[in-house]
Amino acid sequence: MRAVIAAFVLGCTMLIAPRGLAEEAPPEPEPTVADAKKDAAEERATQFVGVRGPEAESVPGGALLLAAYAVVWALLFLFLMRMRGMQRQTAEELERLSAEIRASGDG
Amino acid sequence: MSGKRQSGNTTLWSLVLFATLVVFAATLYAIFVVAPVEQQMGIVQKIFYFHVPSAYAMYIGFAVSALGSAVYLLKRDPKWDALGVAGAEVGTLFCLIVLLTGPLWARKAWGVWWTWDPRLTTTLLAGMIFAAYLALRSMGSAGEVEKRFAAGLALFGLVDLPLIHYSVQRWRGVHPTVITGKGGGLESEMYWALGLSFIAFTGLAVLLIWARASMERQREQTARLRFELMHR
Repeated sequence: MRAVIAAFVLGCTMLIAPRGLAEEAPPEPEPTVADAKKDAAEERATQFVGVRGPEAESVPGGALLLAAYAVVWALLFLFLMRMRGMQRQTAEELERLSAEIRASGDG
Repeated sequence: MSGKRQSGNTTLWSLVLFATLVVFAATLYAIFVVAPVEQQMGIVQKIFYFHVPSAYAMYIGFAVSALGSAVYLLKRDPKWDALGVAGAEVGTLFCLIVLLTGPLWARKAWGVWWTWDPRLTTTLLAGMIFAAYLALRSMGSAGEVEKRFAAGLALFGLVDLPLIHYSVQRWRGVHPTVITGKGGGLESEMYWALGLSFIAFTGLAVLLIWARASMERQREQTARLRFELMHR
């Protein structure tokens, strides 16, 4: 269960981190005297300009596809590893109990 | 007799495993070689071939969990409780796959990672209900009260499954509905890839539930043996 939760947290981090990096603002130029006189309302954007052609925003489909298939295989792998761990734990417990039974039989 | 039955079960399990692996290989070939790239979304649409069958495997897991829980509440037989646990774990695993692969597709298709669409919301709700079930069961050695409460939770989770399925028909949302009774939503090669993927994921869900339920029965027997030894 811990492994599944850890995978979930890791997945969320992978999703959020690139977005956070992408949203980092570029360094602002030094403010001039004229700029300093402007109040906050005047500094708001007054127009939106559309970007067309090759400069338009592009979401990398291949990377998203790769991430999705990696998530599937990684989660399945973690689940199988967890089951293996549980199986080992049960086998050890059985071995210990068998030893206890043998010891109590000898006594 | 028991050993013979065990051997038969192992052989059957191995056969299902082999068949599932073969179908998985064929599925990957169909997805990446046979099925065409979708015109509007491009290559990211191929997430669909694992995303939708994962949702189907999630239904199987949660339905099996509810079935095991219901019979356990009636008969108090630990083997049904083991089936309930196995179904809940496997269902949650596939629910996690659905909730992680969906946003990766949505980022390209909708421009956002997540939106409170009815189908997305009800799927998240199902995941949270069965996560609560697993949290309850993982708190130390579950006693009879915890087992019965968890079984009730699984039955409550079952109510959410039809809501997930019919949410796209009953409520307005943005989730696509290309698989409909009317047909025509997919090209024939896409149907082949999706069909194979459904078979592969069904086999995988069955194998995982089977193995996990068997392990849970062993754990239960070990716990009972430990208890008897302590009180001897």
